[in-house]
Amino acid sequence: MKHYEVEILDAKTREKLCFLDKVEPQATIAEIKNLFTKTHPQWYPARQSLRLEPKGRSLKDEDVLQSLPVGTTATFYFRDLGAQISWVTVFLTEYAGPLLIYLLFYFRVPFLYGPRYDFTASRHAVVHLACACHSFHYIKRLLETLFVHRFSHGTMPLRNIFKNCTYYWGFAAWMAYYINHPLYTPPAYGDEQVKLALAVFLFCQLGNFSIHVALRNLRPAGSKTRKIPYPTRNPFTWLFLLVSCPNYTYEVGSWIGFTIMTQCLPVALFSLVGFVQMAIWAQGKHRSYLREFRDYPPLRSPIVPFLL
Amino acid sequence: MADCSLRPHVHWAQRHRELYLRVELSDVKNPDVSIADNVLRFRGRAAAAAGRVLSHRQSVAPRIYMWGTFPRPSVCLRRAHKAPLCPLSQPHLEAQGHGAKGDNIYEFQIEFLEPVEPKPVCRVTQRQLNITVQKKESSWWERLTKQEKRPLFLAPDFDRWLDESDAEMELKEKEEEKINKMKIESRVPKDPFKHLKKGYLIMYNLVQFLGFSWIFVNMTVRLFILGKDSFYDTFHTIADMMYFCQTLALMEILNSLIGLVRSPLIPAVIQVFGRNFILFVVLGSLEEMQSKAVVFFLFYFWSIIELFRYPYYMLSCMGIEWKPLTWLRYTSWIPLYPLGGLAEAVCLIQSIPIFSETGKFSLGLPNPLNVTIQFSFLLQMYLIALFLGLFVNFRYLYKQRKQHLGPKKRKMK
Repeated sequence: MKHYEVEILDAKTREKLCFLDKVEPQATIAEIKNLFTKTHPQWYPARQSLRLEPKGRSLKDEDVLQSLPVGTTATFYFRDLGAQISWVTVFLTEYAGPLLIYLLFYFRVPFLYGPRYDFTASRHAVVHLACACHSFHYIKRLLETLFVHRFSHGTMPLRNIFKNCTYYWGFAAWMAYYINHPLYTPPAYGDEQVKLALAVFLFCQLGNFSIHVALRNLRPAGSKTRKIPYPTRNPFTWLFLLVSCPNYTYEVGSWIGFTIMTQCLPVALFSLVGFVQMAIWAQGKHRSYLREFRDYPPLRSPIVPFLL
Repeated sequence: MADCSLRPHVHWAQRHRELYLRVELSDVKNPDVSIADNVLRFRGRAAAAAGRVLSHRQSVAPRIYMWGTFPRPSVCLRRAHKAPLCPLSQPHLEAQGHGAKGDNIYEFQIEFLEPVEPKPVCRVTQRQLNITVQKKESSWWERLTKQEKRPLFLAPDFDRWLDESDAEMELKEKEEEKINKMKIESRVPKDPFKHLKKGYLIMYNLVQFLGFSWIFVNMTVRLFILGKDSFYDTFHTIADMMYFCQTLALMEILNSLIGLVRSPLIPAVIQVFGRNFILFVVLGSLEEMQSKAVVFFLFYFWSIIELFRYPYYMLSCMGIEWKPLTWLRYTSWIPLYPLGGLAEAVCLIQSIPIFSETGKFSLGLPNPLNVTIQFSFLLQMYLIALFLGLFVNFRYLYKQRKQHLGPKKRKMK
């Protein structure tokens, strides 16, 4: 069995960083990354991006050395992706924050509202309902992160955690402040409005959960295969007929429901910003589906049926 | 009797449709060229030309052997020097005829092989005279003259000579070029609204220019008359015209949006919205702000910049460039933009306390939207955005300046 030699150069300076000899032809990029870490411990595998060209595409961990267009001496170019943090860590942090922050405002912890309101409860029923819905939403997200989602990438750059947490925590505090304020004004159409909003909210929460489960079942444990998602027996997944990313659609729907329920402008703004961001993600995902699969259903739109 | 007319060298070439005759005479004065009965008659006065031919009424003895077969004048010249002199039995015949100081009269006649149009076209240059004759029918002639023997003064013009097949190819190429040109022209869509658009832009820029010059002149005159006191009621007198001009300036965004004008959208949006915000919201809604001195400076700086900008646009719409104006338009912003920005910042800073005291445009709890809006806080954020916007516009204007006033590599926009 012929062994390969692997040489790793820095993509920017072209200096030789590492030379590995006697590498098995069946070795995967992941194993090569592990070997590279041994010589440079500060660059753990998640931080490494190995490519065939200095400005080329990053090689995947599953790629086998033998299948790559390299000779018996393979040259890889290395780029440092910067400090990485796992997706699970990021998600848990960014969802735990709003959960706790909202509760701080709900219980009117000192220094948030005037001293005469400390630890008092709001006299409106809708405020208690809103707290329940908000907390339910974030608990659901935390549980999904732990038990449902299968991530394509293990890590993301470290600076993302600061960006994401600022966004989630900041908006949560801003919303919670007004909803739990002593001078809060309940919805103009009273109970009718609240009931309708609650129905919408619950419907979309269930839908969102169903999509997450359906996506999980597409991909066996530990694999990173990509397949076209299709509607299943669950009626909530029938939105797959019209939309590529129904999880985003349901998410926007939930927040619209929450806005109507609380009739609070900061919530509306949060929904709007979230919609814009998710629309961008959905467009990207839709495009990559179209690129990857020839027989992708043509009826589907990225996020809003027939429109967007 | 001796006929002392001299024959010039004539070189000829043909195409399917026309004949070219090149008469080798320097500085021909008042040439007389005409065609009658299919005969071209030439008569002209010129200084002695190199290597001219002599001729005489009687037929020349074959010994005088000059230009008959060799077309190249230089060769002929040499030969001429070496040629034996003609027998001197005809005393009026001269070999080279240098002796003639000053001008001589040159004449020749050619009877054409086939019918030609009786309108020859002459072009006189310092060294020769070109005659172009149109053939009546398009054909290829085997010789120029009706007589079979070629006249001694006539020779082929190798510079313009083409064989029949080459001439055909040349014709074909010309046809193709014409077809291509028509194709290209039909591809570029002619804009039916071009004049309308131009007229509208010129009118818009003119109206704005008039508006701002009214403002500028009015403010200057009042400054001279009232001095510092004019600062305090500037708004009162000028505001209506300024409202009008700045509202009209919204058209600039529209123009950029629909592509009527080629300038980019974002600097236009920043400028128009920035100014209108200060004018309508900060100044317009607060009585207290309207009597502040900063208003004078603000309006003055705005109007000076516009005094250069709008005429420049107007002239460029009409295709005229007045260099001093171009320079002014692309240089005056350097002092005026920062000063204008500073004046706007002072307006904002002075207005923030007023907004927080009066609570104008602010929303407090309780309210149905369950939100609080502190307008003074928003203004503080806007102050930061103001400097960012100024910076973006600076960069854009600097780039424009380099483009228009820098090394003249590109054409004006």
